[in-house]
Amino acid sequence: MPDDRALAQQILTELRAPRVAAAFACGGLLALAGALMQTLFRNPLAEPYLLGVSGGAGLLALLGMAAGLAWPWISVLAFAGSLLALALAAALGGRLLARDHTPLLLAGVMLAAGFGALIALVLSVTPAERLPGMLFFLMGDLAWTSQPTLLWAALLLAVAAALGLSRRLDVLQLTPLKAASLGVAVAPTRWTLFVLAGACTSMVVAQAGSIGFVGLMVPHALRRLGFAGHRALLPACALAGGSLLVLADALARTVIEPRELPVGVLTALIGVPMMLWLLRKP
Amino acid sequence: MSLVASKLALLANTRTLVDALDLALEPGEVLGILGANGAGKSTLLTVLAGLAAQAQGTITLDGHPLATLTPLTRAQHIGLLPQGDEGGFFGNVADYVALGRYPFGHAAGDLAPHLATWELTELADRPLDTLSGGERQRARLAQLAVQAPRIALLDEPLTHLDPAHQARLLAWARGEADAGRSVVLTLHDPNWAACHCDRLLFLHGDGRWQLGTPATLLTPAALEALYGPGTAVLWRQGGRGDPV
Repeated sequence: MPDDRALAQQILTELRAPRVAAAFACGGLLALAGALMQTLFRNPLAEPYLLGVSGGAGLLALLGMAAGLAWPWISVLAFAGSLLALALAAALGGRLLARDHTPLLLAGVMLAAGFGALIALVLSVTPAERLPGMLFFLMGDLAWTSQPTLLWAALLLAVAAALGLSRRLDVLQLTPLKAASLGVAVAPTRWTLFVLAGACTSMVVAQAGSIGFVGLMVPHALRRLGFAGHRALLPACALAGGSLLVLADALARTVIEPRELPVGVLTALIGVPMMLWLLRKP
Repeated sequence: MSLVASKLALLANTRTLVDALDLALEPGEVLGILGANGAGKSTLLTVLAGLAAQAQGTITLDGHPLATLTPLTRAQHIGLLPQGDEGGFFGNVADYVALGRYPFGHAAGDLAPHLATWELTELADRPLDTLSGGERQRARLAQLAVQAPRIALLDEPLTHLDPAHQARLLAWARGEADAGRSVVLTLHDPNWAACHCDRLLFLHGDGRWQLGTPATLLTPAALEALYGPGTAVLWRQGGRGDPV
């Protein structure tokens, strides 16, 4: 039996523990990014992928897969694609951000739609044997994450940066004019939010694909539970988002063992009933 | 010294709303701004608050150009109550009112007296978006009162307020003025302006403006010149439909 125990030990330390750590960091980053996007756009429906980040990342990653590239390159391509989407959104719609966020929002939604069409195009001309890998990437999958340390560093840095902004973010929930009258430099703060939320999302997308729903649901649910001020909300998002994704990933690994499900399926299956239950409350 | 605007011109696209305005706010005064829709009242308040660029001329606070002040310093002296709702705010009434403290750092200050003044004590724990229009307006006024700016610029503060709370607003404005601060408000009620403002500014919307006391400015002819022919009947005594 010592061999079995050694194997179990090895699986735990070399496979499971890094994956759980990566899942927690990804979930935390997504929920944090969602909270920042909701404040940036003053809209509870905002989420990390609103500006086409997942579409840009998905398109380049899929093109890489179609070209037969291996994982680290896919990750690099996904990261580049997400940054490309953010840069395009900023260039096309960021002009008036001090007063009005609608142009940025519209540019992002249009970009997401455009990337979605291109992704569908790539999928439709790809040989069938390559499709499962692509679908797992598009729905989010933690099996590929190889950099839990990097993700944790990103999470801790992002939480610290977001906490430094927290009082300003409370004021930024007001109209831009009112926030400016209270002494907040609206445009620089909004650009900081944009960059911070974009960086968090890009880190996750490059490591684990487009894991949906965590970034939309967790901040919204916490706000409904009474976390209104950002000083409490942002760390709570990191904790709750991380926990939700660890839970979802554990289920994704085990529900139809030995096969795995894309973790994005599980986040939605857990999150949707939770959210509907929360909405039921007055 | 206070807030002084010199040769101020407000432009909207190609139109000149206000031209060559010289306005020095006196400590201890309540100044009312009257004008038709679109005459530039809100724009003027935004410019006086140092928050809009579409103006020519200079504005100084105690001799310093407004543009040279940091946003926080400016917010410690000048407060603005803009129109428009606060739909993006997720917190409760007390959280919302407390944001008036933001320019002064972490000093929490005691909110209770302000909540009591604006009859918000009972509503303090309610989410802001569950309040009625008038209650929300009181919360916005309470937030400004917490900020306690030396120059308070209020855009149509009477909106949604019932007579009791209009009286409350009047008492607050008078109290601020008596404490040596300046209160500027836009409004559409010449009677209110006549009774409760120390000075009035008429904006005609075509560059012309008039500055003076209510006694000199508020005549039927001047009101018709400001709002258009046939409007003076609204404030005529003894005619059909005279309410009092």
